[in-house]
Amino acid sequence: MSQWHEEYLKRYKRAKQDGKPFFPYTVFKDTVFATLLLLALVGLALWRGAPLEELADPTDTSYNPRPEWYFLFLFQALKLFPGSLEAVAAVLIPGLIVGALFLLPFLDRGPRRHPFDRPLWLGLGVLAAGVWGWLTWAGITSPLTNPTVERNPLVSEGLRLYRILNCSYCHKIGGKGGAVGPELDKTAANKEAAWLERHFRDPQSVSPGSPMPKLNLLDDEIKGLVAYMQSLGGGGPYSDQAPRLFADHCSACHRIGKDGGDTAPDLSTIGSARDKAYLRRYIQSPSKLNPDSSMPSYKDQLSDVEIEDLARYLASQRE
Amino acid sequence: MREWLKSRTGFEAIWKALFERAIPEAKGPVAWLYVLGSASLFVFIVQFTTGCLLAMSYAPTPDHAYDSVRFISDQVLAGRLVRGLHHWGATFMVVLVALHFSRVYFMGAYKFPREATWITGVCLLLLVLGFSFTGYLLPWDQKAYWATAVGTNIAAQAPVIGPSVAAVLKGGEEMGAATLTRFYAFHVLVLPALTALLIACHLFLVIWHGITEPPAREEDGAGDRRL
Amino acid sequence: MNDAHDDGLIRKAIGVLGALIMAVLGSAGLGFLLSPLVQKRDEGWVDVGPADAFKPGTPVQIQFVERTRDSWSVTEKRSSAWVLALDNGQITVFDPRCPHLGCPFRWNILDKRFQCPCHTAAFAADGAVISGPSPRALDRFESKIEDNRLLILPRPTQGHS
Repeated sequence: MSQWHEEYLKRYKRAKQDGKPFFPYTVFKDTVFATLLLLALVGLALWRGAPLEELADPTDTSYNPRPEWYFLFLFQALKLFPGSLEAVAAVLIPGLIVGALFLLPFLDRGPRRHPFDRPLWLGLGVLAAGVWGWLTWAGITSPLTNPTVERNPLVSEGLRLYRILNCSYCHKIGGKGGAVGPELDKTAANKEAAWLERHFRDPQSVSPGSPMPKLNLLDDEIKGLVAYMQSLGGGGPYSDQAPRLFADHCSACHRIGKDGGDTAPDLSTIGSARDKAYLRRYIQSPSKLNPDSSMPSYKDQLSDVEIEDLARYLASQRE
Repeated sequence: MREWLKSRTGFEAIWKALFERAIPEAKGPVAWLYVLGSASLFVFIVQFTTGCLLAMSYAPTPDHAYDSVRFISDQVLAGRLVRGLHHWGATFMVVLVALHFSRVYFMGAYKFPREATWITGVCLLLLVLGFSFTGYLLPWDQKAYWATAVGTNIAAQAPVIGPSVAAVLKGGEEMGAATLTRFYAFHVLVLPALTALLIACHLFLVIWHGITEPPAREEDGAGDRRL
Repeated sequence: MNDAHDDGLIRKAIGVLGALIMAVLGSAGLGFLLSPLVQKRDEGWVDVGPADAFKPGTPVQIQFVERTRDSWSVTEKRSSAWVLALDNGQITVFDPRCPHLGCPFRWNILDKRFQCPCHTAAFAADGAVISGPSPRALDRFESKIEDNRLLILPRPTQGHS
């Protein structure tokens, strides 16, 4: 044992003798802090709850994967390295940092403890915290590539059932599916909720002779399917002018299908992600809904009727 | 009663060793930095309690995981509160452990004679990250699925062994039922067992060596220049 | 002296705050644990079709799919029932299993009675025992008519002998 070790132990013994017992003095502080923590936790749990997004969908290409904020730094760091060096950011650097953490007591061994007496370690610590904070901040503020999807939960439930019940075996939505039953985005979307509900309860009751089986759905399942059917119509019928409006005003930057530019997001399936009302507001003033957007406002360039028409056209662009 | 317990269980000796041990005095606001460790322990207890409750109504299969989580939030009495506590508890845990870690780092509390305490602490820090990584997948919602997809793909980046590591994590080539049960088993069995063991070691070492006194500048004469 | 006073106060505060923590965590846990006692169950009415589709006087066997929620999972079960409509529009629904030992009985058109293939129990159209070993009349399913839809609750209530 080196000399400073012995001296440290002696000094620590003295400090301990002058100290106060753990209970109740330290325990008091611990309890006060624990109580505050619990109150904060209960507050957040009741006020914000725990988020739950839509059911996982491995085929969804419109989702923006984001890790929890405390892993965001790693996520962001990966963007800084080109493909061939990605392993460096993903594995090598984190590995080295963890290794260094384990070895820290053997790397920094002197008797000095106060941070100002260890400028190297103080600097490294501040630097690491700074880089972490910077990467996290950059991750939080980096724009999302895909437009965020905000579906009505009932609509999502309906879409889910549509898949589980294999409705597409007989029905078409967006041109995909079987030909036995009607194309739902053209027919069901315009029906009243009450009619749809009776139809789902027993197809025969409103469409005598229909080959559709009675599915014995639960009440909330029917609600979901009704909401989904009603969401299919987009924003209602659009005029023949709408595609031309898009070609004239939007296609320099956006594309639908094969036609259009690539400097702004592809709008070929925007109707699945956004409803008409949102699209109309977006066309009127993009910066209000997305501060990072460089799209100009069309409030003064297009009439309200034209904007409505365009929004309906966009809302009908679906997967 | 007290006498009986004393003679039958020896609790008084344990009480003395655990609770009446002397703590070097820390003055002023610095003293409050010393609550971070016990606060982490407290949040661990909260996570353990709420986790046990959640496990009662959770089904770790892709068919049912999402619905069972929704069931907890919407149908179970206090389910929203318990799930909320567990979710925010996870965030608090990361923050508290990070702050505790920073306190020990900047105060140089990992130095002689507490090197082993530090090593158990780093292990616990990694376990906390393991908990949040595995727990994240369990609700099987979009966020869960895609964050885990990215996470396992990061592991796949490692040279040579990367793809195998990712396959072992996922329980197969693709994410699916086996991934969920694996993550669940780690989250509720493997990691808690390891964490409990390491917390015991960590606390034993903390008590054995005593809590570090706040560091003093060398000019104050408390430090030692002979090195 | 002052120190001892502080000490007592601190101990009390620890006790109070500790109790508060236990109470909050405990009540959340207790609520979660006791939840099955207060959870509302799906009643489970099954819509089996238009009520006026049944010819009065003759029992008809219907097949239906029971879709029920079991906590978070939805299960489907195929079941059947015998439906008897009366001239006055009243409808009785029978559990399709014989009350004796659970065999599936059938309607004998010639004798106008329900007959069980297992131990020859026989029942009248209204479910009353005519002969055989059955301890009681046919078990019934609760039923109701809403908007001319026949709804049944496929859980047996005991028939009267």
